[in-house]
Amino acid sequence: MMTISNALHNEIFLTYLAISGGLLGFAGVVLGILTAIGKKVSSIWKTYLGWLVMAPLVLGTIFLGRTATIIGVALLAIFGFKEFARATGLYDDWWLTGLVYLGIVLLGTASFVTDPRLGYPGWYGLFMASPAYVVGALLLVPILRNRAKGQLQQVALAIVGFIYFGWMFSHLGFLANSEFAYGYILYLIFAVEINDVAAFTCGKIFGKHKLRENISPNKTIEGAVGAICISLAVPWLLWFSFPHFEPWHLVVAGLVVGIGGQLGDLVISYIKRDIGIKDMGVVIQGHGGILDRVDSMIFVAPIFFHVVRWIHGIH
Amino acid sequence: MTEWEYHTPPDIDETMSEHLGNFPRQPYMLIYAIRSAAALLLRAWMRVYHRLRVDGQENMPETGSFVLVCNHTSHLDTLSMLCSVPLKRLHQTFPAAAADYFFSSLPRSAVSAILINALPFDRKFRGAESLTVCSELLSNDGNVLIIFPEGTRTTTGELGRFRSGIGRLLAGKDLPVLPCHLDGGLRAWPKGKMIPRPFSLRLRIGAPRSYGHLEKTSESVRQICQELQESVAELGRRNT
Repeated sequence: MMTISNALHNEIFLTYLAISGGLLGFAGVVLGILTAIGKKVSSIWKTYLGWLVMAPLVLGTIFLGRTATIIGVALLAIFGFKEFARATGLYDDWWLTGLVYLGIVLLGTASFVTDPRLGYPGWYGLFMASPAYVVGALLLVPILRNRAKGQLQQVALAIVGFIYFGWMFSHLGFLANSEFAYGYILYLIFAVEINDVAAFTCGKIFGKHKLRENISPNKTIEGAVGAICISLAVPWLLWFSFPHFEPWHLVVAGLVVGIGGQLGDLVISYIKRDIGIKDMGVVIQGHGGILDRVDSMIFVAPIFFHVVRWIHGIH
Repeated sequence: MTEWEYHTPPDIDETMSEHLGNFPRQPYMLIYAIRSAAALLLRAWMRVYHRLRVDGQENMPETGSFVLVCNHTSHLDTLSMLCSVPLKRLHQTFPAAAADYFFSSLPRSAVSAILINALPFDRKFRGAESLTVCSELLSNDGNVLIIFPEGTRTTTGELGRFRSGIGRLLAGKDLPVLPCHLDGGLRAWPKGKMIPRPFSLRLRIGAPRSYGHLEKTSESVRQICQELQESVAELGRRNT
């Protein structure tokens, strides 16, 4: 169970804390040297400063325990969905937008309460059933206000918004109920970020052939393959996160992040390209909006969750 | 299949602090909720602490845009006026506020934009531009603009000279303008004091008039300013 006192004694959490501190410190030193010898790295500094803000926020939330983690994920889902709603214009419709907010609150509540039949923390049945209720409620809105014109687009956007940015992403919060919550959540966050960086770096170094030129012209097949290779190695290095995993579980964990992460990136890319915007919003300097930051996690979290649940069960 | 139309708002790549300082602001659900809650609290506070009385509320047009002009003795003027408009018009009510004071820092901008719904008015450098913003606001239906034509708070209680901006805004437009007078503001919250004192307030709202029949000349602008100043002063005499 995730609590403050457990975090203080949890080797997995403390190890990740040390790794993040080390990585941030190392990156700071490298950037400092690069600046000192006169390289132009000001945009990287911005990104780095963004990380200096985000890393303590994320680790601090996990440190505070299960409740804080579930609330944190729900808030990210709400504000992430809001970016999507504003970008698409769904935000003009306060009924549908408000209902999706309520739906995400329902997901947070389902992740938080105890299962009334089984007695586990987190009501899995309600969590999995909530799309039926929320989608049903969203479809009712045009009927209640007796309007047809333009309603299919608005309801469709709201359903995509709820299912993708709400329900799929909220799986990350539900993981807080697991016995191995620290390992699972921290592995996901680290592996997804490493995967992002690896795709970018491999693309820069080896990139030749465009991956999906109509969606994201800067992504290359070489970058994607390189990222999958690196992501396949990561679970072996972070094996301490899930000591109960067998080797083939590590391969699966690596593939889920390596493939899923890049798919999540591409999903947000084609959404943005269709709408015609560059970033989903402005929250953190050098990182764009919330959705630009968590795009890969949205796709990875539910698949990792269900694969792990299928192999081990989640509790 | 026809293509979907996305209505991306123009402020999509603005940070929150930019959003608060700009005008017009896009509507945000959270901000509306906070503002509505604050308005309810403010109404209760003004009725209890300052025993605010409002006369002439029936003079306010029920539909369409209009302008409220008032004497300016303290921040309580704005708050009293905000309490006198119907709640359903709260988010369409914009007190013009000096940009150099109310939007000078992020916390101030946040209070001005979120709680007061203030329109940043540049009284120093770009007065004409700010007037255009006001004009556009009023050309949309159902907006209420609150203006203090003296331009600054008085320290003596004397009604100052009305600046020409209000005349330029109203000349040649069939736009109702309501003169108002708040009594008690100077005593309750004089300029420079941190906290208002519990003296009673009385707001009088005069009958609407409009200046569509006047052409926009410097002569008519002066005439409008004078007329409005006199009617505010007259309400003041009835107030005391």
